[in-house]
Amino acid sequence: MKFILNIWRQKGPAEKGRFVTYEAQDVSPDMSFLEMLDVVNQQLTLKGEEPVAFEYDCREGICGSCSLVINGMPHGPERGITACQLYMRRFSDGATITIEPWRARAFPIIKDLVVDRGALDRVMQAGGYISVHTGGAVDGNVLLIGKDRAEIAMDAASCIGCGACVAACKNASAMLFVAAKVSHLASLPQGEPERSRRAKAMVAAMDREGFGTCGNQYECEAVCPKSISVRFIAMLNREFLKATVAEPGPQAERPSDPHAESH
Amino acid sequence: MIRFFGHILTSVGSKVLVALSGLALAGFVVFHMLGNLQLFEGPEALNTYAAFLRDMPILLWTARVGLLGIAGLHIGLAVRLAVLNRRARPVGYAVREYRRASLSSRTMAVTGSLLLLFILFHLLHLTAGWVDTSFPDRLDLRGHRDVFGKVVHAFQNPLFVAVYLAGQAVLGLHLSHALSSSLQTLGVEHPLLDRLFRGAGPLVAVLVVVGNAAIILAVAFGLVRA
Ligand code: HEM
Ligand code: FES
Repeated sequence: MKFILNIWRQKGPAEKGRFVTYEAQDVSPDMSFLEMLDVVNQQLTLKGEEPVAFEYDCREGICGSCSLVINGMPHGPERGITACQLYMRRFSDGATITIEPWRARAFPIIKDLVVDRGALDRVMQAGGYISVHTGGAVDGNVLLIGKDRAEIAMDAASCIGCGACVAACKNASAMLFVAAKVSHLASLPQGEPERSRRAKAMVAAMDREGFGTCGNQYECEAVCPKSISVRFIAMLNREFLKATVAEPGPQAERPSDPHAESH
Repeated sequence: MIRFFGHILTSVGSKVLVALSGLALAGFVVFHMLGNLQLFEGPEALNTYAAFLRDMPILLWTARVGLLGIAGLHIGLAVRLAVLNRRARPVGYAVREYRRASLSSRTMAVTGSLLLLFILFHLLHLTAGWVDTSFPDRLDLRGHRDVFGKVVHAFQNPLFVAVYLAGQAVLGLHLSHALSSSLQTLGVEHPLLDRLFRGAGPLVAVLVVVGNAAIILAVAFGLVRA
């Protein structure tokens, strides 16, 4: 197969970027989207040009590194998968494909298609710890949880933190990500002690990072590679309201940075 | 108190207040439409109703000041959210496709602003009477202000018909996302009832627009005459 690729090239964070057109030749329909980019990069390297920087790690849909907006859709045209699980047979031969990075103020571009998603890590840090007893390991099945609760928590926990929800949202809001993280622990007894504090701290951190606000347009759910439901956003709203009414304690506490020594 | 404002200024806190004030405004819009439908019962019913509302100055002014306050809160916070949203994506996409986000949900700031213009026009026109001075305030046979005559006079003019129908279209777009969206913002969600919640916005929007448009068109086509 053959494709015309419009790829966003940007040398560095402060540099001005632009689209550059490349031709991808001899692409097998069984190649994944990232393998197709590997082939393009190999040809660029042979020609002595700078290869296109893009992010990946597992290439099996579990790490959330691959972050490409393909033809205006985060992770491309297929639903419920990451870009690394997308195969070239999904496209018609000779098609023009536009490839852009996640676009959000909170995700500054590092190079080409690679963005800095540290903002999501800082929101997680703000969520903080859960209280568990130290000492000998707890016996299995000591804390019994209903099947339905376990399922809800597991659905929320399936978030791989790729940031496609932010990329897809017209407002570049991270609500689905934060909702998944807050709902996950709020559904389990282990998350109970810090439940209120966590909801408030993570919402405050989300605002601090410069994400937009949720417009309930549900584009996030439609592009999420794990198809995480926007019902978790309603759950986050409830958690936040309950936390505000029940414990109107300090609001925007800044957590101390656990990695302070390393930078 | 400082803490209270701290919560309002978070994204979720502001959204909750936009939703609550929006629901209050929507409630008013629904009752306003139902009241307007009395036009079909003739001049007596509508003028008596209008007089009934005006005859209770305490109620009238509480409602006016209350609505103004609620509208101010809604607009103020909504504009702030819209500004934050614009800022959150300084560089846009070259190619953009939406799978799920409805037109109405993507145009809330635009329809909201147009709605504000329409509401101002509507107040200057039918409440204050500054827009169209060709119809003098007069009393009907019972000594009530002739609101019926004023409305009929207005919608015999195709220009007013066009403006009001456009206003209804904008109102319908804003409401159809707004109501379902505010339920989500307030955390109302249920595995079985979600379809009902998501349908509620479009349904109420259609009812309000059909009710109001019926009045405008009935006069425009001469079905209701002075
Ligand atoms: C009759 C008048 C109005 C009614 C009934 C109404 C109702 C609503 C409701 C119920 C919401 C949903 C809140 C949510 O998503 O949770 C909303 C959102 C919104 N309204 Fe209004 N509104 C009215 C007038 C206006 C005006 C005059 C403006 C602006 C100048 C405006 C701007 C907005 C914006 C921008 C949003 C979206 C906020 C967001 O989703 O982030 N509205 N409206
Ligand atoms: S590379 Fe790990 S999810 Fe795509």
